[in-house]
Amino acid sequence: MADETVRILAPDGRVDEEDRRGLDLKDEDLRQLFRYMVLARNVDLECTALQRQGELAVYPPAIGQEAAQIGSAYALGERDMVYPSYREVGVAISRGLDMVEYMKFHRGTWHGGVNDPVGSGFGMFSVPVGSQPLHGTGHALGTKLDGKDVVTITYFGDGATSQGDVHEAMNVAGVFGAPIVFFCQNNHWAISVPLEKQTAGQIYRKAEGYGFPGVRVDGNDVLAVYRVTREAVERARAEHQPTLIEAVTYRIGPHSTADDATRYRTKEDVEAWQQLDPIERFRMFLETAGIADQSVFLEAEAEGKDLAATVRAGIQGAPPRDVEDLFRWIFAELPPVLVRQRDEVLRLAEEDRDG
Amino acid sequence: MADVTMAQALNRALRDSLAGDDRVLILGEDIGKLGGVFRITDGLQAEFGEQRVFDTPLAEAAIAGVSLGLTQAGWKPVCEMQFDAFSYPALDQVISHIAKYRYRSKGTTGVPMVMRIPFGGGIGAAEHHSESPETYYAHTSGLKVVVPSSALDAYNLLVRSVQDPDPVIFFEPKSRYWAKESGDLAAEGAPIGQARVLKEGQHATLIAWGAMVSRCLDAAEAAGEDGVDVEVLDLRSLVPLDIETLAASVQKTGRAVVVHEAPMTAGFGAEVVARIMEDCFDHLEAPALRVTGYDMPYPPATLEEHYLPNVDRILLALDAVLTH
Amino acid sequence: MAERTFNLPDLGEGLEEAEIVEWKVAEGDSVQLNQPIVDVNTAKALVEIPSPWAGTVVKTYGADGDVVKVGEPLITLDVVGGEEAAPAEGGQEPKKREAVLVGYGVDQEGKSSRRRKLKPPGPRQAAAATVEAPAGPQAAGKVLAAPPVRKLAKELGIDLSSVPGTGPEGRVTRDDVQRAADTAPAAASAPAAPVIGSGAETRVPIKGVRRLIAQKMARSWAEVPHVTTFHLADATNVEALRRELTEEAGTKVTALAVMVRAFAELCAQHPKLNAHYDKDADELILLGSKHVGIATDTDEGLVVPVVRDVQAKGIVTVAREIVELVEAARSRRATPEQLTGGTVTVTNVGTFGSDFGTPIINIPEVAILALGTIKPRALVVDGEVVARPAVTLSLSFDHRFIDGAEADRALTDLRGLLESPFRLGQLPRG
Repeated sequence: MADETVRILAPDGRVDEEDRRGLDLKDEDLRQLFRYMVLARNVDLECTALQRQGELAVYPPAIGQEAAQIGSAYALGERDMVYPSYREVGVAISRGLDMVEYMKFHRGTWHGGVNDPVGSGFGMFSVPVGSQPLHGTGHALGTKLDGKDVVTITYFGDGATSQGDVHEAMNVAGVFGAPIVFFCQNNHWAISVPLEKQTAGQIYRKAEGYGFPGVRVDGNDVLAVYRVTREAVERARAEHQPTLIEAVTYRIGPHSTADDATRYRTKEDVEAWQQLDPIERFRMFLETAGIADQSVFLEAEAEGKDLAATVRAGIQGAPPRDVEDLFRWIFAELPPVLVRQRDEVLRLAEEDRDG
Repeated sequence: MADVTMAQALNRALRDSLAGDDRVLILGEDIGKLGGVFRITDGLQAEFGEQRVFDTPLAEAAIAGVSLGLTQAGWKPVCEMQFDAFSYPALDQVISHIAKYRYRSKGTTGVPMVMRIPFGGGIGAAEHHSESPETYYAHTSGLKVVVPSSALDAYNLLVRSVQDPDPVIFFEPKSRYWAKESGDLAAEGAPIGQARVLKEGQHATLIAWGAMVSRCLDAAEAAGEDGVDVEVLDLRSLVPLDIETLAASVQKTGRAVVVHEAPMTAGFGAEVVARIMEDCFDHLEAPALRVTGYDMPYPPATLEEHYLPNVDRILLALDAVLTH
Repeated sequence: MAERTFNLPDLGEGLEEAEIVEWKVAEGDSVQLNQPIVDVNTAKALVEIPSPWAGTVVKTYGADGDVVKVGEPLITLDVVGGEEAAPAEGGQEPKKREAVLVGYGVDQEGKSSRRRKLKPPGPRQAAAATVEAPAGPQAAGKVLAAPPVRKLAKELGIDLSSVPGTGPEGRVTRDDVQRAADTAPAAASAPAAPVIGSGAETRVPIKGVRRLIAQKMARSWAEVPHVTTFHLADATNVEALRRELTEEAGTKVTALAVMVRAFAELCAQHPKLNAHYDKDADELILLGSKHVGIATDTDEGLVVPVVRDVQAKGIVTVAREIVELVEAARSRRATPEQLTGGTVTVTNVGTFGSDFGTPIINIPEVAILALGTIKPRALVVDGEVVARPAVTLSLSFDHRFIDGAEADRALTDLRGLLESPFRLGQLPRG
């Protein structure tokens, strides 16, 4: 990584003390960051296993991206709004989402992964790549028009930076001074296509063309990610200026459980990045700095197992959805054409039940 | 009662919506100082300020996607696609997000926005300015698709669309913008989802929306001179489709002709005919026919008269169903 | 502890099977939740499968290199905690999985796998008989009619295939159906179902002549495979001869009389038309005399007085006898002899304006000729369209004994006779 990349925590766990003192994080916050990262890792592993066991249709693990997700999400205020893509399990956990509901998306029980997007400050999954930054820009514009003290953050990947919508979003946000943070997790892979085939330039520098700051940060350094996001959030809040953050990280797992990453990248590549694991790096720092000891780590791990078990039991125990739900939320009021269709489905379902 | 053009009626509908509900916003390309290329938003920015009526960068996907985001911040955006054929870059936002958000969020997060699209030909325009894309939207569940045919109803329908809890794609028939109607502007007409019988008749039903409604009325008048009593139905909204009024009319007359500007294959006329088959089969004296644009890219302005359904083509179709 | 079997899930995007690469556990081993148990190779990737439960391995299915189908057993475990600990819908029972694009199809519970029984369709309205003798230009085996006409026919109990269509391309029109209902006694007297909600009902007892008619019609309809064939004939010469004879005789000579006389002549050429079927002997009796019944509408209903030995009589005589017989029948003065003994029947449906008829055979006869109304029609004469008086000849015949080709030859001959001034002129006049 070039010199411009912001980093506080070195891969061996050492920190730039001056930078660290500049952070508004107490020891308690640091332990909380660690805890969230461990929870996310556990849920990722559990959901990968659940897919192998036939309990989830598909799952896109975020292993290796915990620092980028949790460091950025931790920099948000309580009322700030998130527009995610579909790989933001760490963001979701640190924003307190119901992870059983969240995984119903992957089980195919319902779409979206989020019950009440506005109420929970977390937009629904956006699977069409790069489409959600526009929603974030619109939301940010809307809160600004209301004079609300709300910042919006939107997550997307390096692949999404090839999409026009992402650039339209940044352009509009720049023109209107929308209070938004564009958070790009550059995990180097868009399924099988590597970063160099997405862009000939550098992602964070694209911001310059839209008239606002772009920052590159070591995405496996939770402290640096927190710092640059915190700054971006404050800039959005105080100055109504957007920021593009490129968090350089790596997708350790496959694109999804349906993918076989060995077909397009080497074991050595992956192992090199595993050496830069964000959780282990942070753990070493916490231990060395005397902020956390083994008991904290074990407790976080146990909590992670509990959350994994909760997710497992939750999705397996969820009652089947009411067939009528198929038609419940298409419109505020069901039009006659759909009433007919609903009645047919209900009648057929009833006939099935009656044998 | 004064004569009012559809353009004036739409302008008044937007003005009254802005005045009556301070959550309403207007956004789009050239809708501010210029007042829109058709002047539909004329004077609105001056009256309501740049916070509520604002020009956007020239980016249709952004206009759509940002409008969705605005609804989640509690606003009711009315966005404009400058011309029919410029609405296509926004289709992903419309189809993947705007239409689906209520459904995906289990009803918690509706999308109360209006996307206005001036549409249709017959105005001698250059390429990409005369298309009729209503079927793309009608085929996408979760959207309401509304098409006024006259000035007074345009006012009524637009005011209702702005207040609708679901996303409304509002098609404005460009060739009727300057057509006048006499009466008072009030949102007291039929609600969205109800068709109107504009002329009662016994022998056959003409079904249309937008600009083709007046064409059908002309054809009905011509048919009347030949002693044929034609009913004319203005659908007003393609989604929700008023299947009851449609069925009642066709069951009465036993003969139906659907007229639209869009190409025939998989056009909305096919949907109307299918509904007629389902609901009126035993009443049909003849197969329901379509008079539509041909299956081709919209032709150059100097040839569009051959493409668009005209009174003669409608009369030919009427003759075919009457003499079957 | 309780035994549970884990079946191979679809590991992604509709895969159907996987090859076992390496078992990582053996029978008797104890395993933890999510502990890797086996590596399998799918069409897309090498996948490590984690154990869905903690417990002891009871059995593994398939050896390294074996192919296991999705949904088939992979491993059976004695699960720690038994029923309570094991998740309610964990993969313990064989699951039916359906290939989907991105994913697996969790389980098919609640999804209908019941194959619905279809009601077999009723017989098509077009009777097979019309295939051999298509009515006019109608396509063989198809009746063309608009949906409301079909509905009307159903309500009136009319078999559409028996109704000659007068619309374009032989399409049966509403008027055709109404006419069929009005003229075909059997049909008209027996609507399929009363029209509900049509107000007060009146019950009319079926008795006397009506009852006899009904019984006879029903028997004929039930026993005889009717086919009707139609020919349009130029009636210019019939009309001319009729007028000529009327002037000559000083008494009205009808076109009916001319055609009845001509028909008797025809029956001499085509003896199978002039026959009785002896059911008991199962013989067709070709009859020498041509006693032509004239179907007659009376207040009592349909009666058929008979003109005897038509082949021995002149047209004027036939005309006079028809008038007398019809008068006698209508005034109920006809004697039993006058009303029996016919060998073939003619019905003049044209009297009531019909263009065509599909008459029901007056058993034990085997043929009946319906004469449509004579009116000017556009005919092509020498390549020119001209208006000519024309009549449609509708011949119903018993398809058991008469084939379509024979019937059509007979009608062609009759048409030829009627259209030829020379041959028509050779018929006995007095």
